[in-house]
Amino acid sequence: MSDPMIFGVLLFVLLALLAAGLWVAMALLVMALTALVFFSNAPQGLVLATTLWGNSHSWPLAALPLFILMGEILLRSRLSQDMFSGLAPWLTRAPGRLLHVNVLGCAIFAAVSGSSAATAATIGRMSVPELTKRGYPESLILGTLAGSATLGLLIPPSIILIVYGVATEQSIARLFIAGVLPGLMLVVLFGGYVMVWALMNPGKIPMESIQMSLVEKLRASRRLIPVMLLIGGVIGTIYTGVASPTDAAAIGVVLSIVLAVASGSFSRAAFVEALYSATRTSCMIAFILMGAAFLAIAMGFTGIPRNLAAWIGTFNLSPYALLAVLTVFFIVLGCFLDGISVVVLTTSIILPMVEAVGIDPLWFGIYLVLVVEMSQITPPVGFNLFVIQGLTGINILRVARAALPFFALLLLGTLLITLFPAIVTFLPDAMGN
Amino acid sequence: MRRGLDFLYKVSGGIAALAILAICLLVTAQVSLNILARLGGPSLSYTIPSYADFAGYFLATASFMALANTLRAGVHIRVNLVLQHLDTGSRWALELATLALAAVLVSYATWYAAALMAESWRYGDKSTGIIAIPLWIPQVAMVSGLGLLVVALVDTLVESLRARAPVLTDTGSE
Repeated sequence: MSDPMIFGVLLFVLLALLAAGLWVAMALLVMALTALVFFSNAPQGLVLATTLWGNSHSWPLAALPLFILMGEILLRSRLSQDMFSGLAPWLTRAPGRLLHVNVLGCAIFAAVSGSSAATAATIGRMSVPELTKRGYPESLILGTLAGSATLGLLIPPSIILIVYGVATEQSIARLFIAGVLPGLMLVVLFGGYVMVWALMNPGKIPMESIQMSLVEKLRASRRLIPVMLLIGGVIGTIYTGVASPTDAAAIGVVLSIVLAVASGSFSRAAFVEALYSATRTSCMIAFILMGAAFLAIAMGFTGIPRNLAAWIGTFNLSPYALLAVLTVFFIVLGCFLDGISVVVLTTSIILPMVEAVGIDPLWFGIYLVLVVEMSQITPPVGFNLFVIQGLTGINILRVARAALPFFALLLLGTLLITLFPAIVTFLPDAMGN
Repeated sequence: MRRGLDFLYKVSGGIAALAILAICLLVTAQVSLNILARLGGPSLSYTIPSYADFAGYFLATASFMALANTLRAGVHIRVNLVLQHLDTGSRWALELATLALAAVLVSYATWYAAALMAESWRYGDKSTGIIAIPLWIPQVAMVSGLGLLVVALVDTLVESLRARAPVLTDTGSE
């Protein structure tokens, strides 16, 4: 059988298993076993055992449960109330007014949590009822929340960047730092869109009655100071190289416990609940990573990714053309698969092709996260849409329509980092080592 | 039987949670020592021997021991897109088929994981750090975690057969 045909058969096996409802991690294992048994001479059982073991105990991966735990703890603290009452007084005069609470709140929470669903849930729990009560247009409340919550994936700490880093053996510290500027760029794009919309539709944004003096404003946001310190601490120590991401994650957990307890709303039961939730989420991701590692090795034995890269090479595509094709491919794939699965499938099959045309794998990681962010807000399987549907009871398609402009802004963001790769590479290059 | 199995998933999940707590404590302790060394100079410089190895093995313990618990809690991700458009009968049939396939697959993995562990035991394989840990010790968690996942899959399969309907509810997100 020819290579493209083998690849087609394997891909069909994977898609059939996924559609039948087999768990993603196991579907990857079955696809890999199929490849090894039928298209190579490798001792598949032995390779399976050593891969499962070899990919389960790495030091960089230890950051994964810790960052998840940190987010789970803060999710159960008073942070969502504090975020609203702390940010709102500063934004009453900006065009678009309190809609910016969604954008900035999500950006701040994204910097302590690695997940976009958690970001949407935490910020939305407070902001959606408050903004609705004040009469802001529903489409913008939902859109800003759905769009901005995707920042959870990009702004460090980011679970998906840990997955990418571990799967491609890139430095997680450098990936985290690379996500900072693109994250801020998206905040500006989202905020800018809200402002432009507000200026074009002046009657639709309700007036705000709160008038506070500077001292009152500072008092209202004093509860946000510890969170800002936590963010500064985590990102700062990673950037300066004082701490590895795993070190920073452990300290982040301890500080978030202190913070949650100090805000006076954190019980032992809440901690146990957070710990179990983090244990399960981290197990789910670790299992998918093991499946992906086994798939990568199996694909290596069959030689398919190498040949696929060579085959793509014969078209003499420019990196831009390849990226354009890949973007469309990922958006379609993202309609059916969750972000982590998209990333691990990419790293085990597509990465050799990407490196062959001379694209920097560090840059590609950030690009991939942006594309995955888009998939978070496209139906039928956008996790953020599900979260917001659960939060508000509003039909998922209506949420998706509200999120559409933000999908376009993410696409614009992807275009910008492609045209100006320095947005991604500037900070990690400045880090040295 | 039912209560015994649920207890098993609870205990293994508890061990996994403790392993994650252990990573957190271990790394925090080492970072505190790093800070001490920065403040107090070289005379106060301590390192917990092989702490990165230990953190890794705790992670493996957590990931494998939580597998069954995570399955029962419905947190392992799968694609629901096709399933949710089917009637209960077809969904039930697919659930039985995927559970059976998964049970076979994970049994296969458990078998070879056990073989790997037996080999580590026989040849006395050790980690390469300052403290040489015999590899079979952390590998026990891999074998038992995978074994427990087989138990949970078969258990769910039997439950589903008896209920004549799918029994797992997915709660996963990212």
